[in-house]
Amino acid sequence: MSGALDLLTGLAMGLSLVALGTSRLPSLIRVAALQGVVLGTMPLVMEHDLRAMVVVVALATVVMKGVVIPVLLRRAMRTANIDRDMDPLIGFLPSLLLGAAGLIGAVLLARWLPLLPEHHESLLVAGSISTVFSGLLLLIGRSKAISQVCGYLILENGIYMFGLLLISSTPLLVEGGILLDLTVAVFVTGIIVDRIQRAFDSLDTRKLTVLRE
Amino acid sequence: MSMGRLIVVAIVALVAAAMGGSRRPRWWLALNWVGTAALLGAAMWILGGGAEWEWRSAFAVGGERLHLRLDRVGGWFLVLVAVIGGAGAAYARGYWPDRERPASAGRGRAWWSALVLCMALVLLCANGLHFLMAWEAFALSAFFLITLERERREVRMAGWLYLAASHAGTLALFAFFCLLAARTGSWDLGPMRDRPGLAPLFWVALFGFGVKAGVFPLHVWLPSAHANAPSHVSAIMSGVAIKMGLYGVVRFGGWLPVPAGAGWVLLAAGATSAVLGSAFALAQNDLKRLLAYCSVENMGIMLIGVGTGLLGAGSGDAAWGRVAMAGALLHVWNHGLFKSLLFFGAGSVAHATGTREMSRLGGLWRSMPWTAGLFAFGSMAIAALPPLNGFVSEWMVYLGLLDAAAGHARDAAVIVPATMALGLAGALALAASVKASAVVFLGAARTRVAAGAHECGWWMRLPMLGLAGACVCIALAPLMVWPLIQRSLGTWNIAWRGDGTPVPLAALGAAQCALVAVVAAGGFLLWFRARANGLRRAGTWDCGYSAPTARMQYTGGSFSALAVGWFAWVLRPDRRRRWPKGPFPRHASRVERIPEAVLERVIGPVGDVVMGASAWVRRRQQGVLPDYILYLVLGLVAVGLLVALGGVA
Repeated sequence: MSGALDLLTGLAMGLSLVALGTSRLPSLIRVAALQGVVLGTMPLVMEHDLRAMVVVVALATVVMKGVVIPVLLRRAMRTANIDRDMDPLIGFLPSLLLGAAGLIGAVLLARWLPLLPEHHESLLVAGSISTVFSGLLLLIGRSKAISQVCGYLILENGIYMFGLLLISSTPLLVEGGILLDLTVAVFVTGIIVDRIQRAFDSLDTRKLTVLRE
Repeated sequence: MSMGRLIVVAIVALVAAAMGGSRRPRWWLALNWVGTAALLGAAMWILGGGAEWEWRSAFAVGGERLHLRLDRVGGWFLVLVAVIGGAGAAYARGYWPDRERPASAGRGRAWWSALVLCMALVLLCANGLHFLMAWEAFALSAFFLITLERERREVRMAGWLYLAASHAGTLALFAFFCLLAARTGSWDLGPMRDRPGLAPLFWVALFGFGVKAGVFPLHVWLPSAHANAPSHVSAIMSGVAIKMGLYGVVRFGGWLPVPAGAGWVLLAAGATSAVLGSAFALAQNDLKRLLAYCSVENMGIMLIGVGTGLLGAGSGDAAWGRVAMAGALLHVWNHGLFKSLLFFGAGSVAHATGTREMSRLGGLWRSMPWTAGLFAFGSMAIAALPPLNGFVSEWMVYLGLLDAAAGHARDAAVIVPATMALGLAGALALAASVKASAVVFLGAARTRVAAGAHECGWWMRLPMLGLAGACVCIALAPLMVWPLIQRSLGTWNIAWRGDGTPVPLAALGAAQCALVAVVAAGGFLLWFRARANGLRRAGTWDCGYSAPTARMQYTGGSFSALAVGWFAWVLRPDRRRRWPKGPFPRHASRVERIPEAVLERVIGPVGDVVMGASAWVRRRQQGVLPDYILYLVLGLVAVGLLVALGGVA
């Protein structure tokens, strides 16, 4: 069981790195969606007795992160007529290297943190920290609104992984709430993307600075 | 009438004067006088031996019940507020009337009453929260008075500088009162000498009140504010408002336990203020700026007195501390009286000639004999020449210092240098006051505006005469004010309660009277001989030239050049010369400017660094979302590191 979970975690970590390295928006969306699906299957692997609730939430996660949100994003992308993040604030190679450094740092940090004994062996903590870091890196480093939304998604995936640690004590309902929030956020961003596109003829959020003060 | 009623009458009258004064000058004057007379009555009642007055409200303001209290320390300062508040109001009627200043006269009247009221409230409030409110209102009303002539740029600059400095001080006072309230558990103020844990708070209070008092490195706002304000405002600012800072130091030096080094620090700050204040005063060429620096010097003298008083109280309530403290308290009154007189005189010069620049004045005694005489009187008083009142109070401070030194007091190491500094400051102050009166009033008129001067009206002359009369009373009968000082001192330090007169004031009073008699007899003899022999009038300082011009006179700059040279290390005079060249020189000039050393060399550069850093931070704040996220992440990491390194679980 632990082996399967670690495999999935490693997969999610790798997907974060792929997300950092890609410049094409469709593949970025695809990576984020795939990561969501990977994460969605994690509770199924973790739980010994599959309660109905767990199955429902896992299914909802997979559907939401793997299907609904990517579809929304892809539609926004198509409306905005854009498929590349051409001039990122942090280049693709540097952000990939930073992501790798973050991954190593996360593993070290996870060793150093005072965790419960049953979590010491798990890769989950390191994976969660490195995924959060990758999401933040995307948020900071990319200039287009859609890649930033993907950054949020990956960030949330990291938080979700951390939440899995507590799966035995915290109901997945909380996770469901976060998921709902995220969906709404993506909806809103989709609408905003459309508006930005119409108002500024570009999706570069840096151009929003003319709105300051 | 009972004490409470007097205070209520004063507050109601002053509030009415502040509300309705801008439209009705006569009503304003009457109400203002009623208010100040009631304040004076209340203060004199309590200094005359009446019971201390205390009142707590049933309702709360800002979550705290009002707690007003008038004791003899506050009463001492309240007398000054009332006297100058009344005299200045009369002076303003002649000096800043509606017909000459239609835009600002009404505003000036309203804020004047507000200022007097707020200063009285500062002296009355015995609750930290309300003290702060009154203090802030006092600072604000002074700001609006300073900027009465706000269409002029330098007036606005002076106002902003005052406001900024004042708020720096208020910030310290906020810290002081909040810490005090946090440690005692109540905003109520009162004697709490039995709690040694409160001692360090004295430093915070000293900074906050020191800014208002204009102690030397904190005086940066004072010269420009006093020079650019209308003269009656300069008079109340210099005569009374800066004393509120001293009141704070005296008050909380008496109520709170005092840290060990407080007396030393006060003596050092006082000595610095006295010497450098008088050096700066001597170097100024603007009449009112000179007077403003003189205030810094006199504040130094008062601080020396208070510092010696604290040292005396700390070494077994020694008698020398009592004498020096009494001298400081008396100097509060004296300086308030003659400094207001001098500013009124300077105002009447500015009113008559339209300039404060001493190099453009001269020879005014012929056209303005009253002002010239009164200004000379005030200058003699502020230079502490006998037989005037400045001498009495400075003599008492000296007496305390010398007694301490002679008695081998524990703190002689600081008392002896302070005495020497006081002597040096006295000499420089004498030179500065000679400069002010001589350059402005003696000699020949340097410009046409000075030649066309006219004497001031009675509304301006009478307040000056009244203040001069008060000075004479204190000078000739110092024994009469001693009981009042005595009661005030007894309130400040219970150990000094009692009727004994440790100072030979009776002898001093007799000596002063004898001196006056001798001077009067000599003057009469001179006048008599001059009348018998006939007078021959000639130009002043014509030095045997057949056709002297006014430009051959000593200027203010040449008068003080020697002393400015001694203090060039701190004054940093900015000199620009063009020497005469060739056998037939065409142009030669020499321009000398004394910069505001502390402001331009210390605070200016520091301010530039702060502004540069702020501009840099501001450039980082430009609405780029990823940047903001980066700041958040960095902040989060920093907090994480802090927790990790600090070992906080």
